[in-house]
Amino acid sequence: MSRLENQKALEGCRKKLQKQRDPKRPVISLCAGSGCGAYGTDEVKDALEKEISQNGLKGKVEVKVTGCHGFCEKGPIMVIHPEGTFYSQVKAEDVPEIVDETFVKKELVERLLYKDPVSKQRVAKEADVPFYSHQYRLIFGNNGLIDPTNIDDYIAMDGYSALAAALFNMSPEEIIDTIKKSGLRGRGGGGFPTGVKWDSCRKAHEEPKYVMCNADEGDPGAYMDRSLLEGNPHSVLEGMIIGAYAIGSNEGFIYVRNEYPLAVKNIDIAIKQAEDYGLLGKNILGSGFDFKIKISRGGGAFVCGESSALMRSLAGKVGRPRAKYIHTVEKGYRDLPSTLNNVETWANVPLIINKGADFYSSIGTEKSKGTKIFSLVGKVKNTGLVEVPMGTSLRTIIYDIGGGILKNKKFKAVQTGGPSGGCVPEQLLDLPVDFEKLTQAGAMMGSGGMIVMDQDNCMVDVARYFLEFLQEESCGQCVPCREGITRLFEILTNICAGEGKDGDIELLEELANTVHNLSLCALGGTAANPVLTTLLYFKDEYLDHIYDKKCRAGVCKGLFYYEIDEEKCNGCHVCFRKCPQEAVSGEKKEPHTIDQEKCIHCTICYESCKFDAIVIK
Amino acid sequence: MVTFILNGREVKAEEGTTILQVAEANNIYIPTLCNHKALEPAGLCRLCTVELFDGRRKRFVTSCNYPVWTGMEVNTDSEEVIRHRKMLIELLLARCPNNDYVNQLAEQFEVDAPRFKLDDDDCILCGLCVRVCERIGANAIDFSGRGTEMEVATPFETLAEACVACGACDFICPTGHIKLSEITDKEIRPILSEYNAGLTGRKPVYVPYAQAVPNIPAIDRSKCAHFLTGGCKICADFCPTGAIDHSQVDEEVEIEVGAIVLATGFRPFDPTQYDDYGYAKHPNVVTSVEFERILSSSGPWHGHLVRPSDEKEPKKIAWLQCVGSRDINHCDNGYCSGVCCMYAVKEAMIAKEHAKDGLDTAIFYMDMRTFGKEFEQYYNRAQEDGVRFVRSRIHSVDPVPATDNLVLGYVNEEGEAVSEEFDMVVLSVGMEAPPGVIELA
Amino acid sequence: MAVTQKALPLTEEPLDSEFLDGVLQKNEYDTENVIMILQDITARYNYLPEVTLTYVARKLNIPISHIFSVATFYKAFSLTPRGKYIINVCTGTACHVRGAEKIKETIEGRLHIHEGETTEDLMFTLDTVRCLGCCALGPVITVNEKSHGGLDRKKTASLIEQYEKDS
Repeated sequence: MSRLENQKALEGCRKKLQKQRDPKRPVISLCAGSGCGAYGTDEVKDALEKEISQNGLKGKVEVKVTGCHGFCEKGPIMVIHPEGTFYSQVKAEDVPEIVDETFVKKELVERLLYKDPVSKQRVAKEADVPFYSHQYRLIFGNNGLIDPTNIDDYIAMDGYSALAAALFNMSPEEIIDTIKKSGLRGRGGGGFPTGVKWDSCRKAHEEPKYVMCNADEGDPGAYMDRSLLEGNPHSVLEGMIIGAYAIGSNEGFIYVRNEYPLAVKNIDIAIKQAEDYGLLGKNILGSGFDFKIKISRGGGAFVCGESSALMRSLAGKVGRPRAKYIHTVEKGYRDLPSTLNNVETWANVPLIINKGADFYSSIGTEKSKGTKIFSLVGKVKNTGLVEVPMGTSLRTIIYDIGGGILKNKKFKAVQTGGPSGGCVPEQLLDLPVDFEKLTQAGAMMGSGGMIVMDQDNCMVDVARYFLEFLQEESCGQCVPCREGITRLFEILTNICAGEGKDGDIELLEELANTVHNLSLCALGGTAANPVLTTLLYFKDEYLDHIYDKKCRAGVCKGLFYYEIDEEKCNGCHVCFRKCPQEAVSGEKKEPHTIDQEKCIHCTICYESCKFDAIVIK
Repeated sequence: MVTFILNGREVKAEEGTTILQVAEANNIYIPTLCNHKALEPAGLCRLCTVELFDGRRKRFVTSCNYPVWTGMEVNTDSEEVIRHRKMLIELLLARCPNNDYVNQLAEQFEVDAPRFKLDDDDCILCGLCVRVCERIGANAIDFSGRGTEMEVATPFETLAEACVACGACDFICPTGHIKLSEITDKEIRPILSEYNAGLTGRKPVYVPYAQAVPNIPAIDRSKCAHFLTGGCKICADFCPTGAIDHSQVDEEVEIEVGAIVLATGFRPFDPTQYDDYGYAKHPNVVTSVEFERILSSSGPWHGHLVRPSDEKEPKKIAWLQCVGSRDINHCDNGYCSGVCCMYAVKEAMIAKEHAKDGLDTAIFYMDMRTFGKEFEQYYNRAQEDGVRFVRSRIHSVDPVPATDNLVLGYVNEEGEAVSEEFDMVVLSVGMEAPPGVIELA
Repeated sequence: MAVTQKALPLTEEPLDSEFLDGVLQKNEYDTENVIMILQDITARYNYLPEVTLTYVARKLNIPISHIFSVATFYKAFSLTPRGKYIINVCTGTACHVRGAEKIKETIEGRLHIHEGETTEDLMFTLDTVRCLGCCALGPVITVNEKSHGGLDRKKTASLIEQYEKDS
């Protein structure tokens, strides 16, 4: 394909591509996201290609390897278009049957269809799978339809039409105005209004200006940015180019974690293709606007998600934040005006330009507009990436989409917002999720990680876990963060080890207050949230640990022991066989007992018992 | 101009100044740890945190780097601020419970025993050393690691090649954690004052001598850190009038003249090569030029007669004549320098005058050459005043163990071998033509 | 101050200036690309040999102290040699709540090394990483670039065994 010299050429190209594509031609879309990939997409793909050519279907059936479809729990995922047949957990050995049934016999492979756990019915179509049917996939939906390494797929799906509209039909001020009106807020954590940020950067006096994409997705438990970059890189690029044009910048950066090799690869391919098409580089679509993008691979530091640290890291330096009394939109990268938005924010931009601010602002709540992608993980049945309108309740997300708690155990809390966020308890399950409501609950939107926890998760241990994370990830330069987090972690570790003492809770609160108020950057500023929210909602667990030396969740070693409930135990002998310490004794079909002297609390018996006969004391 | 409320009082300040600067100008004390006038504020220790009300909400900012703006309200020692500061000190005390400086801080802030487990560190990671090293332009040390692992380190934790041994890190470190000897094996070499004949040091920025003309400080390019590394320029920040310009270069000026008179001058002989006299080894063996500075009221000890090793007044001083004159053994100077006899007599006489509790002086000579009007009378007067004149060549100057005294060995006019102990020895060095003059000739 | 003569167990690695020049060339001799230069060196050696860093500092004309600071700040870098197989146990929240600790313990027990250590035969290095972005598969580990999800003690043990056989 040659360079597209102007808007007309782009539209011509799109028409041609759409014409070439027969909507009736079968397309097998195979998810190669990070989740499915680990389950063996490559093997399935090889088998599929082999089978197709053996059946003489080459050219008649297209195999499209796409980005993440979201339903990672059931990977590898295969969707056969145009019917939208949804097969999950496909293995290479299933492929001959799939090809045979679908294209020769025109039948469905019943056993690979999704089985609704409630109705026990098989569901044939992707759209009818409850995991998807409750979602509203504006940003993430195209992931399953396009090959991320092929720009033509994106263009055929109306890709870069927003860019053309922005360049030729809108002034930079109009674009900023549209973004402001849409109500789009930063998806990276803070939720700052994107249009306002752009406006300040545009109005900053110094030149040149820079535009950046934060793909240093550091929140443990969140991976929507990775999936967007891997699955639909052009949507991010398009957003960035529009933003750069609005702000008046000719140079942009994508700061991406080196732990995401596929994302780096796909975004690199996307940039090259966009350059070849004249959608990036000099004189974009003949508009006279120049913009280039460089990829910068991060070195692995959570704190580099903070804007000033990221900008220092971009300059090849140690990523330690600076005080932002002068904002990065005025003095950022190289001390020049810089706009930083995260991947998901940029991906929202083409949608807003195409559909208009009114459409966008009609979705969501009063102050949080549009949709949000969450990564629903942890102790939930259907883990994966979920896109819902802002304001959807936690209950809908966890129970309707997520299918409820794994092994039907009891829900305890959902942790949102990564290490800066907090744990939301059961009584707040009907909370409509948006920026304000989560903050009011003591948690945070963050980048959208949602980690579901059940009765087997100890909330003191969860707080300890986050503080350990933050202790390692603190850049170390300011006293309250470095020393304060270390001491918070120390106290929590003591409590978890049964060495908690009177006054610990008060000291935790006092110290958390100083860490929150005095830290230099947001990492320290929010570091106390995991402690404060667990103290707020789960204080009784702290009291258990400190005064009764008990961990009711059975997590903190030394603070619990296992016992076998004689009434429930039917003597199936499973725990007897699995115990590595030979601590379980008892005859088959007779209730067993555990020798407390031998037990090392490794959890194996507890997890393997199908009758809930092993109880935590 | 910016107007804002500082501790309930309206104050005015220049745009761009920080809260800390304004507070200092208004005699309001805000404690700091990581702040230093020579360095950009970093806001790392957070001790200078103050309470700020921006019209909507209250928050805490570091005063060292927060620029003032009209309409804000600042409280530098609200109850909450003080509570937070105490917590910071408690954290630092838990980190460095055995460090004197941190204990002083704890006392100042009335912080008792920390409620946390005690470590045993002596670095508070204020970063002053790292920042001053960067400012100097040496970049020999930096932070390594992150979080709890963070520390100040040289590359690969070995001696730093890049270190210029300026000692700024050692000097600036408040807790005594930084020791230059752990960073480099290069020695700190003081810059010797030319005016005081090397008896004292001077700075790279200096006035050559009191009432020099013009009486303006000069920068010694061969020693100034900026000209060595390209960094520093701290003096320029401090100079209130902005008079320092490192970009100035030497100018060559051509002037037309009718004739040129060369005043070549001379250079004092360097007695190091007289091994037997031990000039390089013993601090109390000085040259006559150095002794001249000791006697001078503008000298290192303001004219008080003291010896260099312990700055105590000597009781006995010996002058050794013809060091670098009339000698073709140690040097090639067969000539008589013509001044040494008389200046030795003069130095002995003045030394006696300056001595508080009496002084024994002895001049060891080959023959006294007192040419010049009334010089012989002066020599006679000296003899009358008790200056001893001994005709002899000294063959050895040895230290007396456990003292800083020196014992001189010689053969007297009677042919007896004598050894005599002195507190101090002055070498009456001769004059030499400087090498440039020989070239010119 | 933590300065001791050769505190780190440094190894002698011969200087391959041709390789390093290539890396510098690829990164346009740009000091802003230092992190990526160090990544490229790590890709070849699995760690950052001292000679490579001093060479890079000299060629880019930046203080070696800054490079050392960068190399010790970012988690992706190591100054000591690492194994042929680098095992990263994801300890992100999703994996943590699904039992990442047990997976780590299993590997530690099997290879007799702790987190951050390398086996004596330089075959395995055990590290942890905060979230690999495969949260739905937790607990997850990666061995070099290959990820393995849905692990339990048993699966982990047989996986490590497989790599031991391959090595």
